[in-house]
Amino acid sequence: MSQRNERSTQPESEGVSQWLIHHAARRAPECLSSRLEEEWLADLESRSSALLRLRLALGCCWATMVIVNEYSRIRVPAASPVVAARGYIALADRNFGYFSLRSGTLFLILGLHAALFCGLITTFSHTRELAIQPNLPNQVLNTVPIEMTALPGR
Amino acid sequence: MGKKDSNVRMSLQTLRVLEAFLENPTVQLAGAEVHQRCGIASGTLYPILLRLESAGWFVSQWESVDPSIAGRPRRRLYRLTSTGLRRASEVFASFNRGVLA
Repeated sequence: MSQRNERSTQPESEGVSQWLIHHAARRAPECLSSRLEEEWLADLESRSSALLRLRLALGCCWATMVIVNEYSRIRVPAASPVVAARGYIALADRNFGYFSLRSGTLFLILGLHAALFCGLITTFSHTRELAIQPNLPNQVLNTVPIEMTALPGR
Repeated sequence: MGKKDSNVRMSLQTLRVLEAFLENPTVQLAGAEVHQRCGIASGTLYPILLRLESAGWFVSQWESVDPSIAGRPRRRLYRLTSTGLRRASEVFASFNRGVLA
């Protein structure tokens, strides 16, 4: 049963992996796009299971983001992969500081979560203060006027 | 070129990729094979390979097979250059000195 399910989902996941790689390669710099696509598709063939293929494809999407980010910094006009690779040399000269793209993204996500958490805490504490008023006056009623009135109709 | 080589950013993943090539400096490895040897995720591996190739440490070429006959796309094979071999050896030597000192 599980083998049947695996067999039936294999072409779908393979299609998804290939689509992801095509999509990632299209987003890469034009001079590297066809090279990366063929290279990644060849490496995709070497992966045995569908999960590994999907993981490779998702990694290629991330790799494209990194390559585009680094490539946009150098902006070297290149007509061929060889020229592009040489233009990419400038990348090696750059010192991008203490944080890489992945670290920066991680810190950004953590910061957003911290801001959301602080906002929620502030909102809830404010709401609680409104709902429970701590300075309610306590009064003891000495005499309670009780007046019995006859209900109408009785 | 030599000045540019010295400024390659050395991360742990970059060192692991270089180590895989230094085991046999004449061997040509595809990205998938480097992944198998290093265990580095593809999202990190391919930018490193491209970066090192750009810096002149690696050269790459297409596998000499016909995709229509092989029934699969050609693999891109990477190999250490003499400059890359020298620089990678220097990097690892400096690390060893630092550890042993």
